[in-house]
Amino acid sequence: MTALHGWEANERVLESGGFESRQRVLLSRLAVETSEAGARWLGVAYWQAVGDFTRGGVRATWRDDGGRLRLLGGATLLGFGPPELRYGDGIVSCRYSIEGGLLALRAGGSVTLAQRSEGEGGEHELSVTVEEYLPSLAARVGAPWWTGALYAKGQSPFHSAVSRRYFELLARGSA
Amino acid sequence: MRVTVFGASGVIGQALLPLLAEEHEVVAVSRGPHDTGDGIRWVEADVASGEGVADALEQADVAYYLVHSLGARDFERQDREAARNVSREAARAGVEQIVYLGGLGGGDEHASPHLRSRRETGERLASDGVPVTILRAAMVVGKGSAAFETILGLVKRLPVMITPSWVSTPTQPIALEDIARYLAGVGGNDAAVGEVFDAGGPEVMTYRQMIERIAALLGKRPRIVEVPVLTPALSALWLELVTPVSASVARPLVEGLRNPTVAREERLQRLLPFRLTPFDDAAWRALGGC
Repeated sequence: MTALHGWEANERVLESGGFESRQRVLLSRLAVETSEAGARWLGVAYWQAVGDFTRGGVRATWRDDGGRLRLLGGATLLGFGPPELRYGDGIVSCRYSIEGGLLALRAGGSVTLAQRSEGEGGEHELSVTVEEYLPSLAARVGAPWWTGALYAKGQSPFHSAVSRRYFELLARGSA
Repeated sequence: MRVTVFGASGVIGQALLPLLAEEHEVVAVSRGPHDTGDGIRWVEADVASGEGVADALEQADVAYYLVHSLGARDFERQDREAARNVSREAARAGVEQIVYLGGLGGGDEHASPHLRSRRETGERLASDGVPVTILRAAMVVGKGSAAFETILGLVKRLPVMITPSWVSTPTQPIALEDIARYLAGVGGNDAAVGEVFDAGGPEVMTYRQMIERIAALLGKRPRIVEVPVLTPALSALWLELVTPVSASVARPLVEGLRNPTVAREERLQRLLPFRLTPFDDAAWRALGGC
């Protein structure tokens, strides 16, 4: 297993009201190859990490037009578009647009799983980036802070913990 | 080159033998008697006991290992012992390469016993120093493939399916003809000796999508209801009731549905480039369409 280090996590609210969060780690060898299969695997492994972390309580289900993250096979927590795969020039990524669900105020934003390569001998970065996401559990602009407690104390730490699990699976090469 | 094929009478062995016989001297191994013909010499051996294995490997350059004990009560132990027998005799015979067809998804710590056993078999085959080439594949789409026949049995018999949530697990099935071509291509190929390759088909899909696509080929539209509480044991018993596959075979397969079986890399496609068969074409052929 390749040792992970350099964990960083940050989150901010954009002027648009959308949330942006990013978790990343560094590793000394590539977790996936630069190819369509490698990019796809970044996505497959992420959903496996979600399932593993919740012991199957939250799972992704897929159709031709995208996926849904479902709680106990029922309620749709988040809906996603089909994976958008990118590979080449030192980057491999799998991006899903967020298309709704109970945890989204409305459709918009995305989740991107990526590996950036620093080239021969350099370190490589694995990251999970959420952009322009409008969480339904977060506090609205001008509302008391505690109205967003479920997001701040629940969903946000949960997301970070899943990312950690995801990075571990990728680094171990066993996702 | 002289090639010995263990498990030659199985679905994959039968597809592989003609490809090998075009270029090599082939010794096909099975537990029961077979008529020799088409440039293929059949010999009897039992990898589980080791009986006849040394004779089958005499003067072989490459050995193909296509054996599994799926359906046996203690298939994990049987697979380990069989692999050890072949590994030992291959080393004694001076075999230069063992080619093994393993499974995708076996590296996961939560891997099912079936997928874990497939991975361990590969490790055992390498334990006596003969370089092993491992092709890791998901479901093989072909007539007689246990996994494919299970899905087909469901589609043919049930207008409404109560399925575990694992039907949403992604997989990358490969056509029987394609995996046979890959297997034939890595035998005696210096670039493949000692390597592990993911052998994925051209499309990634969930089992649910697979069921729907097979159903469409058969002109059916089954209703699929996912429930989160159906255990592998219950699923296997239910499969035994409604498909031709026994519970002892179905259970390890069902347990394996929890694990994504998707290729992580494409080195095999780059090593042996050819157009992979689309799923619908492979399934149609397996259904006897052409």
